[in-house]
Amino acid sequence: MRLHSLLLTGGSLLAATTGALASGFQVNLTGTKNVGMGSTGTGLYLDAASQYYNPASMVFAPAGVQIGGNMAIPRISFRPGSADQGQRTLQNKNVFPFSGFASFGSDKFKVGFGTYTPFGSELHYQQGWEGRYALTDITLQSVFVQATAAYAITPQISIGGGLVWSAYGDVNLQRDIPVQGAGASAPAHVTLTGNSEKKFGYNIGIMLKPSDKFSVGISYRSAIDQHVSGGSVALSNVPAGLASSFSATGFDVTLPLPDVYSIGFGVRPSEKLTLAFDANLVGWSRYQQLQFNYSGGVLGGQPSSVSKRQYDDALAFRLGGQYMVTKGLTLRAGTFYDFACVRDGFVTPETPDADRFGVSGGLSYQAGEHLGIDVSFLFEDFMQRSQSQQDLINNGTTDRVAGTYKTTIVAPGVGLYYKF
Amino acid sequence: MTTFSLRAAKQPRPLLALLGLGLAGLAGCQTNIDAPPAASAGTLDFTSYVAIGNSLTSGYSDGGLYNEAQATSYPAILAQQFAATGKGPASFVQPAFSAARKDGSGYAKLQLVNGALTPVTPSVSNTFLGEQVAYTGSTLPSGQAQLEAYSGAQPDNLGVPGISVLSSLNALTNNLAPYGIINPFYERLLTAAEKPTKDYVTYIGQKSPTFFTCWMGNNDVLTYASAGGVASAANPFSGLTDTTRFGMGYRAILQTISKGGTVKGAVANIPNVTAVPYFTTVTVGAVNTAIKANAALPNASAASLYITTGTGTVRAATSGDLLVLTSQAVIGSRSTTANPLPIGVGYSAAQSNPLPSQYVLDADEQTAVLARTAQLNAIIAKTAARYKVPVVDAFTFLTQVGPGVATNAINNSATYASGNLFSLDGVHPTPRGYAIIANEWIRVINSYYGASIPQVAPNDYRAVPFP
Repeated sequence: MRLHSLLLTGGSLLAATTGALASGFQVNLTGTKNVGMGSTGTGLYLDAASQYYNPASMVFAPAGVQIGGNMAIPRISFRPGSADQGQRTLQNKNVFPFSGFASFGSDKFKVGFGTYTPFGSELHYQQGWEGRYALTDITLQSVFVQATAAYAITPQISIGGGLVWSAYGDVNLQRDIPVQGAGASAPAHVTLTGNSEKKFGYNIGIMLKPSDKFSVGISYRSAIDQHVSGGSVALSNVPAGLASSFSATGFDVTLPLPDVYSIGFGVRPSEKLTLAFDANLVGWSRYQQLQFNYSGGVLGGQPSSVSKRQYDDALAFRLGGQYMVTKGLTLRAGTFYDFACVRDGFVTPETPDADRFGVSGGLSYQAGEHLGIDVSFLFEDFMQRSQSQQDLINNGTTDRVAGTYKTTIVAPGVGLYYKF
Repeated sequence: MTTFSLRAAKQPRPLLALLGLGLAGLAGCQTNIDAPPAASAGTLDFTSYVAIGNSLTSGYSDGGLYNEAQATSYPAILAQQFAATGKGPASFVQPAFSAARKDGSGYAKLQLVNGALTPVTPSVSNTFLGEQVAYTGSTLPSGQAQLEAYSGAQPDNLGVPGISVLSSLNALTNNLAPYGIINPFYERLLTAAEKPTKDYVTYIGQKSPTFFTCWMGNNDVLTYASAGGVASAANPFSGLTDTTRFGMGYRAILQTISKGGTVKGAVANIPNVTAVPYFTTVTVGAVNTAIKANAALPNASAASLYITTGTGTVRAATSGDLLVLTSQAVIGSRSTTANPLPIGVGYSAAQSNPLPSQYVLDADEQTAVLARTAQLNAIIAKTAARYKVPVVDAFTFLTQVGPGVATNAINNSATYASGNLFSLDGVHPTPRGYAIIANEWIRVINSYYGASIPQVAPNDYRAVPFP
């Protein structure tokens, strides 16, 4: 019963995912088998989700259809650097990243289709928290779809590529405005909402499989900027006397998403045991600033707002393994260390990024030749991260708050697959 | 095949159940960040905290003393934070006005006048903007309107708007000017018998503090500066106080409140009064731009702002001259004399209607004010050292804060009204400004006495309300 209801929730259209499953606002919860192995997969050919990790490996993986979903349960706390009035916790909201893939074809050539949620964030800070003038709420959702082809040049070498389309994206950013209305009971508040333009990107990969015992894959996923134009500005409780300073009705913004370089190794010491090692280099340095350009007027008297990001490229290392206990049951475990892309003194409430350590586990149970169920479980522990007001002053980043963030995330997942 | 899968199907169940249990446990577990070290008073005792000072200490804001602003005076904030250490005070009494007259002397508000944001001062003619003012209808011998007498418990916040070091000790003016019948904010605190005789030093001597703060001296330079460097012949406290009498008065104040150096406390020095919005909002540059754009003037491009300096010289204003906030209402208004030019406008010294001296703190007057401020601050530092109390360097602090101080993603500055720090009178802080000042007091007290009194979150205190 439990599984059944989880599956239903995971399969719903709530694509939002919590802000912090990988550095920045990446979400590495694609493919339930992979998640159980520390989100490795570049050097593996497990199933149709390989088109996400390394499109070349899809041709070596069994053809099939699969869907999977996760419930990400974040726990984020904040304490201000001074004037501590107790720990602030988020209105914890569970979110549901999902993915689905299908692949068809032969051992020589396969095509595949997939959909997944590579980026996202949803955070709702506690009412009246110290950073309310920087951010109160953020929802960032994205759904990508991908069409993939992979070709085995020889049984040892394959290449593959996918055409990626950002099919859906939306953003909802809210914060309080530091103006006081005479006699107003609620703070002035602004909500920025918009949908991102649909854009194309790609991924490509190569896989070498000199023997059944060893494989290596390299893949690249291109950057796709999320551009919102014609977003809407909604204001509340702005004092009438300041209406001319808050006349904006629309905005546009570009949120640069990173490209990702990956290399992965797969080792099979025995027929039952598979070990995987992945390294990712995530090109977050593309994200230097967040600039909102307002239309129809000004916001806070300004035609635009610029906030420094200056992200760094970030590395992640992943280790995972699976062991086939019986022909029907496979157990998995993995671990990873993901470096923060946000520099010291630049941590913002919308992405309380930090170096993080994760462990995962999972299993598959296959009843019969075709149908199986995957289960995964992931726990991420963020290093506690502090920045002082002096750090913010030194970096010119006083548009955010000084204090300490601490995050953990638990994400169970479940998937169904059918092998052709 | 069938038997196998049945057997296998049973196996995951305990695993799944375990997984479920683990999930429930982890998900219910909020991450925790260690709390900062507990508040501590160190060796200090705040059982009876007493604040000495002028309008800044009283909580004066928006050109008036009223209960709402008084409630966020920096001494009230300090008392609240002191209490967090568990070393008192149990209560901190401020001389509030009665509930039906809570708006005290009345206070300015921003209002939309003809569509423009305008600070409006309460007066009889606008029925005090509907405020519940505490005027009795009588007038003091100084000509100021009398305020309702305070009848509560003896206050711990002894801040008296308008008081200076010079006016704190009757002996400094040979008892010529009994302050208790001059200043309505002091008069309301005294009994009928005390009014003609009891000076401020005597008044504060009635208290037995365990800890005190003292922020005196601003009005020994500010009264003169805010009058554009014009001292009134009728008011003995309207000039720049000389160093001799300031030193005598300041020592008497500290000697009295510290009970001869036996009570711990802290003092603050005199800020740079010329850095407040009262002097920086109306600029010569902006006025000249407006004059030159005035199509009603003949040959407007040749016209500019002309002023009368403190020495009586008429000359074109320069960027080195500071115009007071109240000059805005005067500059450009039609002359009531035979002079055909609007006030402030001129083409040459001979052909001008110069702005009267009381609206401009010219460059020479500023130099005099700043030089005297430095001298008086040296006396404060020396006296504080003698009584072994730390000095909150308000002069340096306000200079640093003026260009901008960020508080949890809000940028505050000394800009008039929109800068959040200064209230509509351009001199006195908003509650937000007072909170930032309280934090600086706390920083200095913690550092000097090894205490760890927690600071406040300034954003929890309001800035200027907009209509």
